[in-house]
Amino acid sequence: MTQIRWRALQAVAGLGTRRPGRVYRWSIVAVCVLAVIVAPWVIGEGAQRFLSEAMLMLAMAQMWNLLAGYAGLVSMGQQVFVGLGAYGLFFASISLKVAPFWVLPLAPLLCAAVAAIVALFMFRLREAYFAIGTWVFSEVVSLLISKTERLGGERGVGLPTARLVDPRWLEPLTFWISAAIAVASVFGTYALLRSRVGLGLMTVRDNDVAAASIGVDVWRNRFIAFVIAAAGCGLAGAVSFTATLYVAPGFAFDPNWVVAMMIIVIIGGIGTLEGPILGVIIYFALRETLTVVFGLSAGWYLIGLGMVAIAAILFEPDGLWPLVRGRLGGDWLSVRREPPTPPRIAAATAAAAGVRSSPHGLGATPGDR
Amino acid sequence: MTLLEVQALDAFYGDFQALFGVTLRVEAGETVALIGANGAGKTTFLKCLVGLIGSRRGEIRFAGEPIAAAPAERISRLGLSLVPEGRLLFPSLTVEENLMMGGLSRRPGAWSLARVYELFPVLGERRRQWPDQLSGGQQHMVAIGRALMSNPKLLLCDEISLGLAPLVVDQIYESLGHIRAEGASIVLVEQDVKRAAGAADRVYCLLKGRVTLHGQARGLGLEQLSRAYFGT
Amino acid sequence: MIWVETIINGVLYGGLYGLLGVGLALAVGVMRVVNLSHGEFIVLSAFLGVSLVRVVPWLHPLALLLPVAVIAFCLGFGLQAVLINRVVTRPDPFAGILLTFGVAVVMRNLMVEIYGADPRHLQAGHLAQASAGFGGLHVGVLPLLILALSVALFTALQLVLTRTRFGRIVRATADHRDVVRLMGVNPGRVYNLVMGLSLALASVAGMLLAIRASFTPYSGVERLLVAFEVVVLGGLGTFWGAMLGGITLGVAELVGLRLDPNAGPLYAHLLFLVGVLLRPNGLFRART
Repeated sequence: MTQIRWRALQAVAGLGTRRPGRVYRWSIVAVCVLAVIVAPWVIGEGAQRFLSEAMLMLAMAQMWNLLAGYAGLVSMGQQVFVGLGAYGLFFASISLKVAPFWVLPLAPLLCAAVAAIVALFMFRLREAYFAIGTWVFSEVVSLLISKTERLGGERGVGLPTARLVDPRWLEPLTFWISAAIAVASVFGTYALLRSRVGLGLMTVRDNDVAAASIGVDVWRNRFIAFVIAAAGCGLAGAVSFTATLYVAPGFAFDPNWVVAMMIIVIIGGIGTLEGPILGVIIYFALRETLTVVFGLSAGWYLIGLGMVAIAAILFEPDGLWPLVRGRLGGDWLSVRREPPTPPRIAAATAAAAGVRSSPHGLGATPGDR
Repeated sequence: MTLLEVQALDAFYGDFQALFGVTLRVEAGETVALIGANGAGKTTFLKCLVGLIGSRRGEIRFAGEPIAAAPAERISRLGLSLVPEGRLLFPSLTVEENLMMGGLSRRPGAWSLARVYELFPVLGERRRQWPDQLSGGQQHMVAIGRALMSNPKLLLCDEISLGLAPLVVDQIYESLGHIRAEGASIVLVEQDVKRAAGAADRVYCLLKGRVTLHGQARGLGLEQLSRAYFGT
Repeated sequence: MIWVETIINGVLYGGLYGLLGVGLALAVGVMRVVNLSHGEFIVLSAFLGVSLVRVVPWLHPLALLLPVAVIAFCLGFGLQAVLINRVVTRPDPFAGILLTFGVAVVMRNLMVEIYGADPRHLQAGHLAQASAGFGGLHVGVLPLLILALSVALFTALQLVLTRTRFGRIVRATADHRDVVRLMGVNPGRVYNLVMGLSLALASVAGMLLAIRASFTPYSGVERLLVAFEVVVLGGLGTFWGAMLGGITLGVAELVGLRLDPNAGPLYAHLLFLVGVLLRPNGLFRART
């Protein structure tokens, strides 16, 4: 029933019946951009801050998804880049005495550089060992910064240079930049996955031995993904702490950053680009419901989210996106490629060769097991 | 008396069907050879019998009991034992410990550590060594001995001549005679048709998951066999 | 002289670290699941100790090791049976770490809500202050007792795994979880017992650590990292390697603290990173 009603709705809206035209698509984009631009004058400061936080969280979750869902790297130390991005920005802004937004590009650059070096030895660890290895690295950086008085030690530092920005523009600027980062994280990941690197990553994810045997450079593709994810988290972290005007090791390198990324990706759907978007919506909806409506403490809402994540892993290991996907008319951001041969011929040759097509495109050929 | 009776067995890996309506029976005391090319479904069939493939349909009765839906842990206690393809010994256990794992079910019968060492004296000499220090043939002996330790009514042997020198294969096949003499029935999965037909009372041939031929081992002609084997 | 004492204390402390890691190593070795809630269970057992002391204040905390270990065994058994066994056969190697990470998040915050975030301590009475002197060196009696207990537990574990029927089944299940089913063994049940054992060992370490240093519900992260470093440095799946790894880390930490009193676990972490860089397969790799 709902299916039929949805179809009808799509037909009315001109969706689904035929491929949306170019004009149609660009007009949607234009409307969205306009909405983001005028939003600061329409919605209140609290809503702006809330949306900025959600969009930055989406960017971080998308980076974690790129690592865990596509590159086969579960990093439990991703918070190190959130913190490094923030510290990089604060340090550069304060020592150069310029407004924080001007030195924003330095944050992802610093994180990318650190990630490139760290990858050299962390990539010697696999799977769970990589996960905890990155976590140890994060702890080390956090402890080192706590001991560095120039960076404020354990007490942390404020951001006096924020005064160089007109206070009326501080919130809107943060909001716009957050929106830009969120969009860039989704479409940047999309573009990356459609590239050679992405293709390499996905073949490795599906079968690493086969991928290596056809000459996919596993190490290089993972390296690129790790560096990009570090840069993305660094950028989002830098903006996030600019909004609070204060950074300290306890907050910047808090493992709860990666807890949030992980829970968002798992609930939404690991290894899909839409999953983290859905996950962020659910994450913040749950948080607001539990803390604002029911007045629960932060601890109880983390307990609730943890339980939701456990349930998702047990019962819906692919997350909620696959359940929602069908109702929204298929993938929005499919990174799957069509086979080069026309589908009918491909199917015929596949049948002739005795290859069955699997939902993932790469048919396994069961031998005499 | 019929020991094993399989009726219209289908097996699946996900949505891929590996066996189509396989029907087969083994009488008590009998040796049956199951032959077929690579990928014909022989190993799948044995795994269905011992319960390692959950996705199976049809009827399997062993010693009168239906076992088509039983888990592997229970089936093994009924006296159905598998010598798996590739031996699959436990590398962190010594030779003797590997054999003792086979005896966990504590089924009464003729076979014990001492009797296995009698059958394969070389294992007695090497009982404290690790499996990877043994030759391929000796590892096969451990795998057979491990399966015997549960005193099976029916012993399933998957490719026990694979990768061995002819002389060693002779030795292994000779031991099968002793095993039969103790009363066990045997199902032999082989790619070496001649060798299998020579050791068996009856032969079944599988092709792409279906039984294409079965009959007395002695009565089968070479042409008939190769047609069933290759499907030409 | 002060350096000799520091190193001796590091060794004594390190035995405890080895004990933190050995449970993790056992679970990893048998079922290839890195239990990210290991640290939370270590802290939980310390809280259980604190609670039990309040119930039976006339009993020495060391006498509570056994009941806490029994509780931890049951919790581990349940954790494995109810949750981890459902994902352990999945081909995806990350299901186990993500699941146990979720468990860790839930447990950590539950402990904050129940016990509060203040630092706690397990009182060991006059035993904590007693020290023995050997030719001018002063070594605490409690650390000596702790090391002796660690070594005894290591030896017991080793004997159980190499000499008993249960140990054979555990090793065989670790090798081929499908093949043991052909011998009538239910691998899930073996896993339940192993996880129970893993957390029972962790709980002993957690109680002893709570006597030596204060803890909060947030200490689980640090405990997990130490346990993990012990396992990796020691070479995966070797128990005496884990002991040596623990001792190395213990010495590194105490020497670091002597050089720089507010370094915390920094030097142990640094040593771990350097170790991974130089010897990714562990410092003490053994046969098999």
